[in-house]
Amino acid sequence: MEKLKRELKEQIIELLNLEDIKVSDIGDDTALFGESLGLDSIDALELIVLMENGYGIELANPEEGKDIFATINSMADYISKNKK
Amino acid sequence: MSYINSYCHISNDTVKINGENSTSIDSDSIEEIIRELYLSLELKYSKFHKMDQLSKIAFIGTELIKQANPEISKSGENDIALLFSNSRSSADTDIKFQESYQNGGIPSPSLFVYTLPNILIGEIAIRNKWYGENMFTISSIFDSEYYANYCNILIKKNAEAALCGWINVDDDKIEAFFFFVTKKDLKQLNLPLDSNMLEKIYRQD
Repeated sequence: MEKLKRELKEQIIELLNLEDIKVSDIGDDTALFGESLGLDSIDALELIVLMENGYGIELANPEEGKDIFATINSMADYISKNKK
Repeated sequence: MSYINSYCHISNDTVKINGENSTSIDSDSIEEIIRELYLSLELKYSKFHKMDQLSKIAFIGTELIKQANPEISKSGENDIALLFSNSRSSADTDIKFQESYQNGGIPSPSLFVYTLPNILIGEIAIRNKWYGENMFTISSIFDSEYYANYCNILIKKNAEAALCGWINVDDDKIEAFFFFVTKKDLKQLNLPLDSNMLEKIYRQD
């Protein structure tokens, strides 16, 4: 699980062009949306693409995204349960 | 009558403000050149890194014009019009977007956002809270008569000032020219806006 969390942090930084952010800046329970990382709705769409491209998970209900993408912990938890 | 109060040229190796060399750039790739220019501004604006090359150049040019016109910060949010044009539209990003899905991949949402050139106006407006009139047009050449006429109409009717730009970026080349026009002559350059004068300073690069 720890490997997956680190991988997610690295992917998010690269995919979302977070040039001023380092892996160590993202805590497992840091809120991904809002003040801390400043992600926006387009970033949310990129995370949906990441789930599908990287882990073979298609989000059937986009409404679930809010909870799934809340933190690294919630993303890693969802991936580990649903990865194909 | 309106007045050109500052202008800026950006190319691969030089930034010129009001016709004088301001910055020399020593990088090979367009990506590195843009990064070097951003760092030289000493700003921290995380959204910059998410923009496409066209919007990044628009952002940098706008910041340089602001530095040359400190009084711009006193403007009301509807005072400044934005008038931009280019010949390549968003072709560079359009190609990258196509590449993101043509081999069975999923289209990139963040690239899709930039598949219209006028998004650069939105980036400038959001950054500076400038919500005045705006226009983006595609033209095969820099059309000084269009800029002069449109600017004079805007300034006569709805705006105190206009930030204008001509920006083309591809994999190999940056060609950008910005100029800031005001209703009042701020006596910085003593340049009344007309198409001949505009053509002359555009070609100074």
